[in-house]
Amino acid sequence: MAVVLITSCKKDFLNYQPQGSLTAADVSTPANADALVIAAYAGIANDEMIGPITSMWVYGSVRADDAYKGGGGTGDVSEINKIEQYNLTVPDMGSDWMLPRTWTDYYKAISRINFALGAINSFDVAKYANKVESQAELRFLRAHCYFMLKRIFNNVPYIDETMSKDQILKTSNNLTNEAMWNKIGDDFQFAITNLPETQTQKGRANKNAAISYLAKVRLYQAYEQDAKHNVTNINATRLQQVVDLTASVIGKYSLEPDYANNFLDGYDNGVESIFAAQFSLADGTTSGRASWVFGLNSPSGTPLYGCCGFHVASQNMVNAFKTDANGLPMFDTFNNSDMIKSSDFTTNTVDPRIDHTVGIPGHPFKYRTDMIYQAGWARDVGTYGFFGNMKEQQAPDCACYFKMGPFMGTSKNLDFIRYSDVLLMRAEALIELGRQDEALPLINQVRARAKASTGRLKNANGSSPSNYLIGLYANGVNISWTQANARKALRFERRLEFGMEGSRFFDLVRWGVAAETLNAYLQVEKQKRDFLTFAVFTKGRDEYYPIPQREINFTKNLYVQNPGY
Amino acid sequence: MKTCYNFKFRTAYRKLLLLLVLGILTSGISAQKISVSGTVKDDKAGVSMPGVTVMEKGTTNGVLTDNLGKFTISILKSATLSFTYVGYASQEVQINGKTNLTIMLQEKAQSLNEVIVVGYSSQKKVDVTGAISVVEMKKIATQSLSSGNVMQALQGNIPGLYIEKSGNPSGASASVLIRGVNTLGDTHPLYIIDGVPTTRPEVFASLNPSTIESIQVLKDASASSIYGSRAANGVIIVTTKTSSKGGAKFNITYNTNVSILSEKSERYKMLSSLERGKVLWQASVNDHTDPTAGYGDIYTFNWNHDYNNPILTSVTVNPYVGGDKNMPAGNTDWQAATYKTGYVTNNDFTVSGGSDDAFVLANFGYIKNTGILKYTNYDRYSGKLNANFKLFNGRLKLGVNSQFSNSNETNACQDIGSAWTPGLAIGLAPTIPLYGLNGIYGGPEGGGYSDRNNPVLMQYANRWDNTANTGIFGNAYGELKIIDNLVFRSSVGLDYNAYNQKNIEPTISNGSVNRTDNSLTISTTNYSSLTFTNTLSYNFKLGKSKFEILAGTEAINTTSNSVISTAHGFSVETEAYFVLGAASGQRTTDGSATGSSLLSQFGKIGYNFNDKYLASVTVRRDGSSRFGTNNQYGIFPAATLGWKINNESFMKDISEISNLKLRVGYGEVGNQSIGDVAHYGLFQSRYGPTSNTYIPDFFGQYYNIGTAYDINGANTGTLPSGFVSIQAANASLKWETTKETNLGVDFGFFNNKLIGSFDYFTRTTDNILIQPPVASAVGEGQLQWVNGATKDNRGWEFSLAYSDKLENGLSYGISTNFGASKDKITKLPEEVRSAYAGNAEQSILGHSQYAIFGYIVDGIFQNQAQVDAAPKQVGAGVGRLIYKDLNKDGVIDSKDQEFFGTTLPKLEYGVRINLAYKNFDLAIFGSGVAGRIGQDPYIGDDLFVQSRDNAGPGTLNAWTPTNSGSSIPAVTLSNNNNEQRVSNYMFRNNSYFKIRNLQFGYSLPAQIIKKLGMSQLRVYFQGENLFWFTPKGYIGSDPERTNTSQIPVPTTYSFGVSVNF
Repeated sequence: MAVVLITSCKKDFLNYQPQGSLTAADVSTPANADALVIAAYAGIANDEMIGPITSMWVYGSVRADDAYKGGGGTGDVSEINKIEQYNLTVPDMGSDWMLPRTWTDYYKAISRINFALGAINSFDVAKYANKVESQAELRFLRAHCYFMLKRIFNNVPYIDETMSKDQILKTSNNLTNEAMWNKIGDDFQFAITNLPETQTQKGRANKNAAISYLAKVRLYQAYEQDAKHNVTNINATRLQQVVDLTASVIGKYSLEPDYANNFLDGYDNGVESIFAAQFSLADGTTSGRASWVFGLNSPSGTPLYGCCGFHVASQNMVNAFKTDANGLPMFDTFNNSDMIKSSDFTTNTVDPRIDHTVGIPGHPFKYRTDMIYQAGWARDVGTYGFFGNMKEQQAPDCACYFKMGPFMGTSKNLDFIRYSDVLLMRAEALIELGRQDEALPLINQVRARAKASTGRLKNANGSSPSNYLIGLYANGVNISWTQANARKALRFERRLEFGMEGSRFFDLVRWGVAAETLNAYLQVEKQKRDFLTFAVFTKGRDEYYPIPQREINFTKNLYVQNPGY
Repeated sequence: MKTCYNFKFRTAYRKLLLLLVLGILTSGISAQKISVSGTVKDDKAGVSMPGVTVMEKGTTNGVLTDNLGKFTISILKSATLSFTYVGYASQEVQINGKTNLTIMLQEKAQSLNEVIVVGYSSQKKVDVTGAISVVEMKKIATQSLSSGNVMQALQGNIPGLYIEKSGNPSGASASVLIRGVNTLGDTHPLYIIDGVPTTRPEVFASLNPSTIESIQVLKDASASSIYGSRAANGVIIVTTKTSSKGGAKFNITYNTNVSILSEKSERYKMLSSLERGKVLWQASVNDHTDPTAGYGDIYTFNWNHDYNNPILTSVTVNPYVGGDKNMPAGNTDWQAATYKTGYVTNNDFTVSGGSDDAFVLANFGYIKNTGILKYTNYDRYSGKLNANFKLFNGRLKLGVNSQFSNSNETNACQDIGSAWTPGLAIGLAPTIPLYGLNGIYGGPEGGGYSDRNNPVLMQYANRWDNTANTGIFGNAYGELKIIDNLVFRSSVGLDYNAYNQKNIEPTISNGSVNRTDNSLTISTTNYSSLTFTNTLSYNFKLGKSKFEILAGTEAINTTSNSVISTAHGFSVETEAYFVLGAASGQRTTDGSATGSSLLSQFGKIGYNFNDKYLASVTVRRDGSSRFGTNNQYGIFPAATLGWKINNESFMKDISEISNLKLRVGYGEVGNQSIGDVAHYGLFQSRYGPTSNTYIPDFFGQYYNIGTAYDINGANTGTLPSGFVSIQAANASLKWETTKETNLGVDFGFFNNKLIGSFDYFTRTTDNILIQPPVASAVGEGQLQWVNGATKDNRGWEFSLAYSDKLENGLSYGISTNFGASKDKITKLPEEVRSAYAGNAEQSILGHSQYAIFGYIVDGIFQNQAQVDAAPKQVGAGVGRLIYKDLNKDGVIDSKDQEFFGTTLPKLEYGVRINLAYKNFDLAIFGSGVAGRIGQDPYIGDDLFVQSRDNAGPGTLNAWTPTNSGSSIPAVTLSNNNNEQRVSNYMFRNNSYFKIRNLQFGYSLPAQIIKKLGMSQLRVYFQGENLFWFTPKGYIGSDPERTNTSQIPVPTTYSFGVSVNF
């Protein structure tokens, strides 16, 4: 009776169709091809406050001499403290915050890219006219991910769209530097060949972004490193590639007239932005597809902002903005005295970029004369001083802000490459090729823009918060423009131009000077900041971060740990 | 699918109707009779017994005795009369022409003849051959009233049943485990309530104790196997009352209980404002950081500024928090500020009765708990209606069992930074006052404070939050006796719950931690599970052999749909204004749907030879929508044997032994506790969720995992969106199977004054369902459910009870129960190894699934020379914990870890003592666990200073050069040595024995209450969670308090009255 009836329709009865989900075959269609590309773009911007993949403020700024961790004492997000102290950085720091998550999040993005590539590779151009361009965009994104991973971890497994899950799990992280850089380079080269000069949708990578990024790759590749991260040779061929590549971008972009624009809402995808992660608010998502990577970094002691007061300028960083009587950086003497008191910023002359980069007590914050940065805005003055970060912030009433819980999210883009980077990369390659004279105007171009960027730096009464004096380099007038001096100027210029933007540590490692620079920094800084008392940079180890222990466990020791860890 | 289902129903009932007609045609004809009358009395007390069923044997002719125990019945001259009354041995009397009788009924010594439900059928308890524990409802009925959850009263009562309570006002259990943990996923047992299955413990919780007829716990696989693929965690069978007790026309029961709840004994001792200042000073100088720099906003330190020989002259608390003149610094005991005395009132009213042919039970219950955490509360209305009718001389029985409940709860909440208020009540700095001068709530301002909120403010701000659950549960059934002993039963069961949660997040102004936006989130989930069960049973005798045969089918279809809507921007913050439509800001909506189905056939053959030898075989075949096409069906067999030794002739003379039965059973059960769509490879368009949507986590709220992207660079507007893999496929996914062998013995001595049972079991769980983590290089959404490890679990349970009545009228009883189990992982495929504790070198193979893997602490570094000589340990220093270099490679790293204990207890035990004298009764019940380690949350709070939160007084006694004997590492704010890593320093013995319940009752004398028309009136006092014993070195308040984000389980004192009419 009923027994029989149930059995007769059991096939249907037991076939439960997943609700609201699709299969790989459902999504791998030409009609969905661009959606897969979009998901890949989303992947490179899906980062976490506790596992950043866009901003390198932890790995590139706090780890360098630009900034301290900040926040409430060294124990507050202690993973970053361990990173800051070098010798506390270990493969398993007791939690998965920061490095393990960063690793995972890049591979999540890479898997989206590889899935999309795998699907699109199989489409007939007749069915999907945009096939090659989509492939080029995806390979651009993949190269971006591996470039970021390589700078942080050095030795990472290279996974592409042809690999099965089994193959992936058998792939070690033992590619040579050269092989890895070339794989990244090949993807960018493919992108250069197949991407249009401009894109109507500004978030997409274009040919010039690929050229600029490839130049960046070649520049890193030029400084050849041995297994202990010593720079053993600077490869002139690679440098020449940087020069050649950048040449074709020169003039296609320009510097923002005011340096501030790069860090203000309303200037996303502007004339200087070459490639950026896009963020949005009021877009129908749960909490906005906002960037939260700076969530911990708001000024802390004011109800105007959110939480935590992380990422604060080091004393060394503040001092670096000092200029001499010619308005030039004080390469070797900048750190001989500290700028702390408010009068220090008027008795000394400074590069205007200081008031775009650092929150200084008594100075208007984020160009708002009605909002004066105060020492109390810092979370833990005793440990980390009272200087703050400014580039990562907006005025609190900015429409680009969304506060959720204690944190501020923003729709402000995060630039991966700005035009000023292209100019300075080109200058660096020229200097290392011994063509420093050709580099001089490039550096001056960057400095001239900085010089012109004082329009927003005003007190309520119209006066300047600091005593700005910035000059251009003039060979034989204020500097002898030898290769050695040009190199110093270039390296100092990169520090000022990209202050606290997360580039500094990677620059030092590229140049092969991380150990001496950072140990010298610590020697002096620990006199001012007790928490650095036991910090030491170990050469041959600390240039790169350890491979997260859990990944080594997951692959049963297939991955090789970086030297020294 | 739906139409198919309906069709089945229609056809089944058409058949039933046909059989009904047949039944009418075959009804009998009556014969010539005489009238017999008499009185029935209790043989001991000699009092007359109303409500005894008097039946003419072999017929349906019967009456009940009246209030004076008298009866009159018209029967055949040669008939035999039977007298039955629950709790008494039945008696049969041949009339042989007698017309006046006096019957003395004998009370049963123990409930050995009681009939219990064992899976689609019932059985006499003495004939049970599986490991089944029967709950004595009488003992726990009143105990369950203070929490409104019978499950809580079962804690410690049943060997092999492990229950963890929570302190939530709803009285929900934190965890219910039968014979330990056998799987990695869901560990809920399966509940069968009046034949309808559910895995939702709240259905069981909403049953009022006065409506429960019986509860059985099926522990071993041979007993639970007939429930097949969902029985791996054990089965709890609940039967509610469906017939009149003793045939009384009406029975009215009223229970009322008032309880007072206090969490004081659960509190953690924390530092005062001044003590915290001292500890922060010490920690700062230990770290060579200036204490004034870090905490100068809160404290003024007067010290010698010599880090090498620091001397603190004085420390004072600065007068104002953050310099705010309206906020004088306090010395707040946040636990005292956040908690209050809670009150529970529970009323339970039942009317039941009827004739033998028609029975109705109506129950109404209302419980209200005012909560111990401020602004929390819970109330629940519940109702139950059971009715059944016997038609056509009892050939057809039709009935309905139904249960309704509606509950509202306001629970603990989170602050702006998602910290739970119970945790804030422990950790918030004491210098923050509860209120400032102008009556506003105190909060963190200035340096040295966490970005956490005042927990009392947060509870107040969330006082309108509400979680409402409306549940309907029950079944409609028909039972048709086709011929004698052949019964067809059909039942349609429903398990429905509507969940409605309202979460209002108003703006908050609290020191420097504020929320400027307000919002309302409404979450609703409709869950519905429909069960259609058909069974055919046939019992017959062949000589000395008795057979019971059962065959059945069951179809279960479950669906769940959720909608979550959020709106921001409410211009007025009143409770009434917070409706979604009133918002002026951004709105978002999200939703999901899931479901599953299960189709089963099962059968059972029971055999009894001469009431000495028992055997049974069951088999169930389950098909589940949750498994891949390759393995959609599973077959679960079981067999048992029993030998009632006491019925052997050679035992006849041994009068001391009243019951002795050996049992052996083997069974297989399954587990399908994975996601409904676990075997599929799935992609989703995830427009804009955060990780928190799928894995609730604070930082997950700020982690976009979506597929939408602002490719146009517009910063706003609708975004294009793609697809992402969320799960890898596994078409071969199949059941996890548990195979279990059980050996048991039941015994009763001295006329069953001493009774007990012992069970030994071994079980092997194969193909454990697991979603192991995998190397990140594999990519996003590539986790996959697989059939992984195998584990062995073996253990024993023992229960022993002695009861007697002395000449002087004192009756007493002592009952004990013990349950022990030990598990071990015996097989571990490579691909799942990453899911378990261990590292690349050592695996959990051979250890318990709950084994703790970590570092071994070997004292504290006393001086620099010792640090220098020790193996290289990142973070080492004087005063720091020494970790053992287990692999002797001179470096302390992740390879220096080992397995050193398990968190699951080796032994659980309980003891109950009952005393009764005249009208007084007293019961004491205690239970405990032994042989486990755990990380009591207080270890971290008490031994380690927190830079922003308060710590316990252990930090005052931490290591310093002048206190070098301390076992507590030097206080540090930077924790470079990572001392809260998993180690034997953090995981310690946390066994306990607890006096859970003490009850004293008085029943008013029958003569007095009879005048009031009552048959029973009992008043009682009760205390619960009273006091406990812990091992030396235990740090904490209560070993059962394992999660400081939750409200602790309070100590409860109750007064109650229960009345029967």
